[in-house]
Amino acid sequence: MKNLTIVGLITFGIGLLAAVGMPWWSTAVAGALAGWFRAKSNNQSFWGGFAGGLLLWFLFAFVRDLENDGLLAQRIGALFGGVSRWGILGLTALMGGLLGGFGALTGYRGRVWVSPESLAKAR
Amino acid sequence: MRGLFFFVSLAAVSGYIGLLSISIPLGQQHLPALGDFFNPFSGFWQNAEPATGPPIPREVKLTGLRGKVEVVYDDMLVPHIFAEHLEDALRAQGYITAQHRLWQMDLTARRAAGRLSEVFGTRALELDRLARRRGLPFAAENALRGWRRSPEGMRLLEAYCEGVNAWIKQLKPANYPLEFKLLGYKPEPWSPLKTALIVENMAETLCGGENDLLATVTLETLGRKTFDHLYPEWNSRQKPIVSDTGQWRNIQRDLNHQPALSHSSSSFFPIVEKEPILLGSNNWAVAGTKTQSGAPMLCNDPHLTLSLPSIWFQLHICTPEVNCYGVSLQGIPGIIIGFNEHIAWAVTNAGHDVADWYRIRWVDSARTRYQIDEKEFPITWRVERIAVRGQETIIDSVRYTRWGPVTYDNQPDHPLRDCAFRWVTHDEPSPNEMRTFLFLCAAKTYEDYRKAIAYYHAPAQNFAFASRQGDIAITVQGKLPARNREQGRFILEGSSSANAWAGFIPDEHLPALRSPQQAFVFSANQHSTPPSYPYYYTSRDFDDYRGRRLYDRLRTLQRANADSMARIQLDNFSQRAADALPIMLRLLDQHRLDAQGKQWVTELKHWDYRYESASTIAPLYEVWFDTCYALTWDEMMDSSGQKQRLLLPERWRFIELLEKAPTDPFFDRISTPQRETASDIVTEAFLCMQRFFKTRPSQRTNWGKFRPVIIRHLAQIEAFSRHVEVGGHSTALNALSRTHGPSWRVIVELGPDQVRARGVYPGGQSGNPGSHFYDNFLDAWAQGHYYDLLFPKVLEDLPANRLFAHQILLPQ
Repeated sequence: MKNLTIVGLITFGIGLLAAVGMPWWSTAVAGALAGWFRAKSNNQSFWGGFAGGLLLWFLFAFVRDLENDGLLAQRIGALFGGVSRWGILGLTALMGGLLGGFGALTGYRGRVWVSPESLAKAR
Repeated sequence: MRGLFFFVSLAAVSGYIGLLSISIPLGQQHLPALGDFFNPFSGFWQNAEPATGPPIPREVKLTGLRGKVEVVYDDMLVPHIFAEHLEDALRAQGYITAQHRLWQMDLTARRAAGRLSEVFGTRALELDRLARRRGLPFAAENALRGWRRSPEGMRLLEAYCEGVNAWIKQLKPANYPLEFKLLGYKPEPWSPLKTALIVENMAETLCGGENDLLATVTLETLGRKTFDHLYPEWNSRQKPIVSDTGQWRNIQRDLNHQPALSHSSSSFFPIVEKEPILLGSNNWAVAGTKTQSGAPMLCNDPHLTLSLPSIWFQLHICTPEVNCYGVSLQGIPGIIIGFNEHIAWAVTNAGHDVADWYRIRWVDSARTRYQIDEKEFPITWRVERIAVRGQETIIDSVRYTRWGPVTYDNQPDHPLRDCAFRWVTHDEPSPNEMRTFLFLCAAKTYEDYRKAIAYYHAPAQNFAFASRQGDIAITVQGKLPARNREQGRFILEGSSSANAWAGFIPDEHLPALRSPQQAFVFSANQHSTPPSYPYYYTSRDFDDYRGRRLYDRLRTLQRANADSMARIQLDNFSQRAADALPIMLRLLDQHRLDAQGKQWVTELKHWDYRYESASTIAPLYEVWFDTCYALTWDEMMDSSGQKQRLLLPERWRFIELLEKAPTDPFFDRISTPQRETASDIVTEAFLCMQRFFKTRPSQRTNWGKFRPVIIRHLAQIEAFSRHVEVGGHSTALNALSRTHGPSWRVIVELGPDQVRARGVYPGGQSGNPGSHFYDNFLDAWAQGHYYDLLFPKVLEDLPANRLFAHQILLPQ
């Protein structure tokens, strides 16, 4: 559980730094780094990265949304066929979560493939 | 095995990123790439503006400024620009306008340039082709050539454009207006040519219409006698803008020189009916003798296609030489409808036909040479390159003649295939045209006003005026062809130079009125003058009812104040209904009605002819009248009843025939064996109306619900559009139809101690759908409320409780 949290925090942290000026998929890169260095299992990597990415995208959007009183989220929801304000927030969060999750899983599996010894040592 | 697992997860993450990176086609549109659009760092969330308003940085460096500029936003987000020089103020106007309306500017310029396909793909291709083939970019280039002859004017225009570009230059993709993100393209630099395109876009809306082809076909089909019977040009009940007081006695003109009509070889062409766009506007000024305060008052409500972002942007410019408040058009420096400490002005569309078609006599079968007066001329080709998103660029070559472009030369079956388009908008304007409105901003007297508008070219407008000195005036201003009788009503023969316009009506002969006895001046897109005016002019759609109503209201007006003026702007009374309904009721054969029908007749008899939102009678009348009209003019439609093949008579003439010629043969329906009269038509229409509501019970409701008003987003995005339930009708002063209406209601009182104004438009100052200032005026507008406009002489006079932000623009 501790490792999962750390993977999440790293994904969130690096994702946050990368978000300024980097393309949106940098969240996946952040997840990959977290997965490579800290994850110890498939589950840890995916769910840790997922939580980090989800939180990152959700919080960024949510702060905007609160300031905006949900006005734009409602309009975008209507644009996408009647999705609610919370639906739009959820969709945003999910997109970020999957980026972090898939990214971290890939990072972790990369390390398992490239240097399983270092991983065993870390265990 | 480990490698495989890695590659599977790598494929998953890349596949997922890929999926979020492609734009998904949805019907004819493309949804933006979801990753780009939804990510909270640079996607749409960045356009979710704080509910308190957009962030306005306190200090900004603006290249090119000569001195300091202070911009104070009030709580309606109206910028008050205080500058030392007009040039600086206009630079700031460009910068500020771009800040709030950049995408709208881009779209409007693209529409006139025929460059929508770059953004929207093939579905905009025909629009682009037509804009180019009608010569809108050609007109813009000519306008710019004219403006360039005034270095002072160009300096001001360039300052404005540089201000726009200063805003664009500092924009990061994350801060692009929402629509750029949604449609997936980037803002590009502004230029004087784009300003010219915005002007031409307005010209296309306001003076691009004519029905020469339909009129020609109708004349050939029906013959002269019937044509004159159905389509008289002058309605004797109309109140023209300027009446005949003998002022034209000394103008000598022989109108009776008949220009040669062009006779088409084929008999007739079915034309798809375009929905008539009922554009209209009201303006008036009243002298101090009619107002409570003793000061003159001026009012305006220009009716246009209502849109979001709004057509207008409110603005206050204050420099040592100019102190002016009003509404501006995005992309054009200065103020279009406004007031200063001395005067106020207002515009409505003059509506004169300034677009004609000339049939070309080709010399060769390739149609590259044509004849005028036995002399041969070569055409010139204008090559249009239309870039289309996701497709190859389309090359479209258009023939240009001395008359103008041969707009439809690419369509072998088009009835205008061999006709050239002569349009006043194509002509090079006077060098100072660009500055007309800047001169108006600075005007102090009647003479200043006349001098300023003399530079104005097109689209011709009725410029109403009032001054603190007590003057009121109205002038029909613009380049209006000096026509012979009926010249331009039909397609003209282009092989004779005698058919060309004999110049333009000289300024001193344009219809104008200054401080008349009646103590008011007014216009509502009606005829400019009675038929005794020595120049012939025509129109596709002069108004016949608002002008009469406005005249009646103003004639009886006494001790007027802003509230009574507002009541006139919001007047839902329809003069047309008041004219027609009593006649229809008289003609109706009540024996053929059932109990419900008789009940409705009783209700209609008690209707006050007001299209109030709550009225449940107005929809009954509306359907009944429209059905009467459609049943009568079945001759003008093709067998499907959907396409118009002949000109439809004007409503006023129809009502006149109902009243005075109930046995006119046109009341006979071609599809029935018996011979109908007006009475049969009116009764049949009533029964149709009953069936209409019986089969559509949900439509049996109040007027506001029956005819909802849609204020559409400019890219037709429903989620960014608004629907409102309001009263009004195109024949009432509150001229609201489904998509058109008062785009800016303003009332100005010029004195006695200071200038006061109130105004409202259906939208908001921000063009951002993520802003609370996008449509914050809309509900007040729908309810007929106004805002007090703040017009401080100095920055410090702005009440602190209405101040939103204070920005200082400094030279770099």
